[in-house]
Amino acid sequence: MTKTISAGRIALSALAGLGFAFHAEAQSLPPLPEAIKSAGLLKAGVRCDQPPYGYKDETGKFAGVETDMAIQIATWAFGSADKIELTCVTAENRIPQLNGKKVDLLIATLGVTPERARVVDFSKPYRWGGSDILVAKDSPIKKLDDVAGKIVIMLKGSTQAKWFEDTMPKVDNLRLNTASDALQSLKQGRGDAYTHDAATLIVIASKDPSLRLVGEPFAVSDAAVGVRKNEAAWLAYVDAALDRMKAEGLYAKWVEKWIPADIRPFYTDAFTKPKPTAR
Amino acid sequence: MEFDLAYLAAQRPALMRGLWLTIQVSALSIGLSVAVGLCGAAIRVLQVPVLDKIVVAYVEFIRNTPLLAQLFFIFYGLPGLGLKLSLFWSGVLSLTLWAGAYQIENIRGGLETVGKGLREAAFSLGLSPWRFFRLIAAPMAVRVGLPSMLNTSISLLKNSSYLQAIGLAELTFVAIDRISMDFRTVEMFAAICVIYLALVLTLSFFASRLEYRLNTPFRT
Repeated sequence: MTKTISAGRIALSALAGLGFAFHAEAQSLPPLPEAIKSAGLLKAGVRCDQPPYGYKDETGKFAGVETDMAIQIATWAFGSADKIELTCVTAENRIPQLNGKKVDLLIATLGVTPERARVVDFSKPYRWGGSDILVAKDSPIKKLDDVAGKIVIMLKGSTQAKWFEDTMPKVDNLRLNTASDALQSLKQGRGDAYTHDAATLIVIASKDPSLRLVGEPFAVSDAAVGVRKNEAAWLAYVDAALDRMKAEGLYAKWVEKWIPADIRPFYTDAFTKPKPTAR
Repeated sequence: MEFDLAYLAAQRPALMRGLWLTIQVSALSIGLSVAVGLCGAAIRVLQVPVLDKIVVAYVEFIRNTPLLAQLFFIFYGLPGLGLKLSLFWSGVLSLTLWAGAYQIENIRGGLETVGKGLREAAFSLGLSPWRFFRLIAAPMAVRVGLPSMLNTSISLLKNSSYLQAIGLAELTFVAIDRISMDFRTVEMFAAICVIYLALVLTLSFFASRLEYRLNTPFRT
């Protein structure tokens, strides 16, 4: 046991020395739990339709900040960025995928909620995420309350679906499976508004001049890595890895890598500033 | 995680709403698909020029493409061509088109068993092709084709669960939507499987009653 730990530590220090700025206080990660180690690679669930956090680029490759976080953990855990098996998860299937052991962790725009905490364990939060509403440029919807009496498109199992159910239960909704379905439906006029994570909608709005953001933040929550219940050693490892990413300034690097300068400030704030207060 | 019956009891109203929508969309689509089947099979058997080629192409197209792709085409594709159907009617249209193709083949198979002699006798008695089809061929064909028509109807009922993908709040949608909120996976999927099973068994029961009645002249 001690032998494997020290071997792991040596490999990690070597890596840290090679690839990244060397921080003596940040580079020590706890030992990798045997269950994860024996798999020989990291099975991670990421989003494939949530730019800039997790998506597939034009060539079909996994891309985004959260994807890079997963690859980073694999690199630290197994010594190679190739030792990873990425799986596309959706808002509605991500927790079943984790608890069904298809993946060993979720870095998948997963907001911390009490309902979810009942079935999975959360790491420390690595950023916060708010919600926003996307509407057609000429829509009469100017603020959150204007959606009363309108049809709001949302994703099954999303933070927003829960929020609307609890806070504005009378709002008509159309619940779909993916962000691309939702956007398509909004543009075809099947709903009056599309609510989702602000982070996702900002990217869409910046690319599509026919759409506009309402801009009133609500349902602000922390995003964290999800792991199965009763895997304390694995959770401790993930927490330590997140601390190390922060200490080594990797978030800023990834935000710069994946997010165009004109919309970058929101994302920089999400990873580095405390979360704002909102409904 | 233990099986939580109280949770299911609390979700009963939502499940019943989903079940009702599943029944509506399936019943309507089964009826319409049988109508499509009768028309299509008549066109094939009576060898109506041009139309019969179209029916062949339709059957081949539907049977050789995935239902989910057809559904997405109808829901997301047709609005681009100027036809925007509601959720409900998109679902009915896609299930009807899908099952209609199979029903054409089921009924056509039944029609094949209607002997040439009968047809010649009918025509020599002065019946028009349409009256021959309506009065003689169709009733006989339906009797022969009933078991396979029932199979298609059962498949249609089960395939109505695909409609969750476009956001129609039928039974499977309700289950998936609640699971994504409450994570009671085992309870919900067990519940909807039992409900689907009950639905299909009910449908089979009525179909076998119908089969029994249609076979009255052949029983001794």
